[in-house]
Amino acid sequence: MKPESRLRKVLTAGQFAVTAECGPPKGADPEAVRRKGNLLKGFVDSVNVTDNQTGVVRLSSLASCAILREEDLDPVLQMVTRDRNRIALQSDVLGASALGIRNILCLSGDHQSFGNQPEAKGVFDIDSTQFIRLVRQMRDEGTILGGDKLTLPPELFIGAVENPFADPRSYRARRLEKKASAGAEFIQTQCIYNLPYFKEWMKEVRDLGVDTKVFILGGVTPLKSVKMAEYMAKNVAGMDIPAEIIDRLKGVPSGEQKKEGLKICIETIRELREVEGVRGVHIMAIEWEEAVAQIVEGAQLLPRPAV
Amino acid sequence: MTGASKGRPFFPRAMTTMEKELSFAIFFCQQLDPDQDVNRRILEKELGPRIRFFPLPCSGRIEALHLMRALEAGADKVYVVTCPIGACRYQEGNLRAKKRLEFAQKLVEEIGLEPERFELVNVASLGPTSVDAIARDLINREHKLAASPLNTKKDEKK
Amino acid sequence: MITAERKPLPEIKESISPYKKILIVGCGTCVAECASGGEKEVALLASALRMDAKKEGRDIEVREITLDRQCVYEFIDQLTALVDQYDAILSLGCGAGVQAVAEVFPKIHIIPALNTTFLAQTKEAGLWLENCRGCGDCKLDYFADVCPITRCAKGLFNGPCGGSKGGNCEVDPETPCAWHLIVTRLEESGRLGKLAPVYPPANWSKKEGKGPRKIVREDQRH
Repeated sequence: MKPESRLRKVLTAGQFAVTAECGPPKGADPEAVRRKGNLLKGFVDSVNVTDNQTGVVRLSSLASCAILREEDLDPVLQMVTRDRNRIALQSDVLGASALGIRNILCLSGDHQSFGNQPEAKGVFDIDSTQFIRLVRQMRDEGTILGGDKLTLPPELFIGAVENPFADPRSYRARRLEKKASAGAEFIQTQCIYNLPYFKEWMKEVRDLGVDTKVFILGGVTPLKSVKMAEYMAKNVAGMDIPAEIIDRLKGVPSGEQKKEGLKICIETIRELREVEGVRGVHIMAIEWEEAVAQIVEGAQLLPRPAV
Repeated sequence: MTGASKGRPFFPRAMTTMEKELSFAIFFCQQLDPDQDVNRRILEKELGPRIRFFPLPCSGRIEALHLMRALEAGADKVYVVTCPIGACRYQEGNLRAKKRLEFAQKLVEEIGLEPERFELVNVASLGPTSVDAIARDLINREHKLAASPLNTKKDEKK
Repeated sequence: MITAERKPLPEIKESISPYKKILIVGCGTCVAECASGGEKEVALLASALRMDAKKEGRDIEVREITLDRQCVYEFIDQLTALVDQYDAILSLGCGAGVQAVAEVFPKIHIIPALNTTFLAQTKEAGLWLENCRGCGDCKLDYFADVCPITRCAKGLFNGPCGGSKGGNCEVDPETPCAWHLIVTRLEESGRLGKLAPVYPPANWSKKEGKGPRKIVREDQRH
């Protein structure tokens, strides 16, 4: 059967989409990818595979996506411009499509200085927005940069990310608009903890009419503990965790914090469903893929639609 | 400092019988002692080539190179004596002197010498004071200081 | 200007260890301005090397000389009468200076004493900031006179990324986010619309070219 993007079908059918994140292992272990993938199977529509996230070397995103395809999952290939120049990017885009991968998420990537190869040369030949436009050109016009014709264009549903909580805040909705005009079709946002602020941002997005141009999936990450919340609030730039969230976790015994974290996550998803222009949710349960099933179930997003 | 740059030592080394007699270079802010010209003569006479005074219009004029050259020329200890913090006539001269001295300390550490060979002394308060008295105080504190390895090496060779 | 920093002394010592007579050559232009390779720095390094040798009981002979520019033949020529008397030249020029001197005197070992770092602005005394990568295709006008190639850690042309916080870069929180500056400057002057179109991929051939770049100006040649 010809592979198709399940994510695209769910979204275009007007269903509230659910995606989750799968971090590949730090080794040549295909079973680890399968195991994580199968934890998500039936609970999500598509699975994002991170691309050497935070600059830490892992099994390649492209290979992991190919493995997930074998497991009959719909992978979202994350690809960063940090590690590849335009020659490698275009080549891998073609490779992904040839392997039956149907979704791509274009990112610039975390700076190499954060990871375990801080002495690496960052490539950044093109940036994420230029990459979005490039994939769109390859797919829709069947050409690469410079105009050479492709024998067969890639078939990819094109995504991008946006962080509503980073600075300068006044420019964030416009930046999303720019990614949309570059050709992004779906957007996954940074983790949302500050709902009132997110709602304000969504209003700006709607005022610009961007919500009708792209499918916006709100990002959520269940908090495991007060420690994790405090660490993220303090050390991850562009992460906005309001004091009320941390206080709420503090208010329960440490053994109950995981449960409370899941509860917060589920409540967030329920609220996100009510926000006009939010078309799905992207669950980033960092090294806690088991949580996804509980979250999806708790948020009453089961069963996933048959498309 | 031109003498040092020509390689002529300021501080001819004492004979081996006087090995523990250390040599000192004292850079100091002239604002501290209006009569420094006269006052320093007393100690200069007493210690002869073992002490050299270098008056500065402001301690902020000190450069790492002055300190390095003094050490190279045979000083065991080099002082930079400044006005009290906050009392610099040129606002921040003594603060700058501190930074320059710290830079020079890093340089001598790189060649394996003790950074304490350079010392910044902020006098406690401005008042009637003579550079002679300041220098005597400092030198009297230094009975524990060993001769600079630059100088002992030379002596061993002899 | 071109900035540089002196190499750690152990590295310099290691490179000069086979030699006894060393000519230390400074440069009076960029590296003098950034206090790494001018006359003063030559004197400091010479003094340190002399003391170090003395401490270890080694004999070295060090001569100091600083050229107005170490990257221009007319100035390098001042060394011609001296080089034969020395075993090696320790250069406090930038990488361009070291190579220019080496080309003039192929028979003597030229050793770099500096790590050449970047093209900079002297922001204030003792503070130099990298603000140009010499890309060969200046678009500062478009980016509100803030170079994103140089001053954005990821070199984004369509920034800011999601890590800009409080006006600073997530990679180095002490560095202002270039894109925060670009956006606020354009916003304040009512030109934010300039950023609406997607900025196309850069033409790196103007930087990468066919290897080392050159400029030929017939009108300037002899």
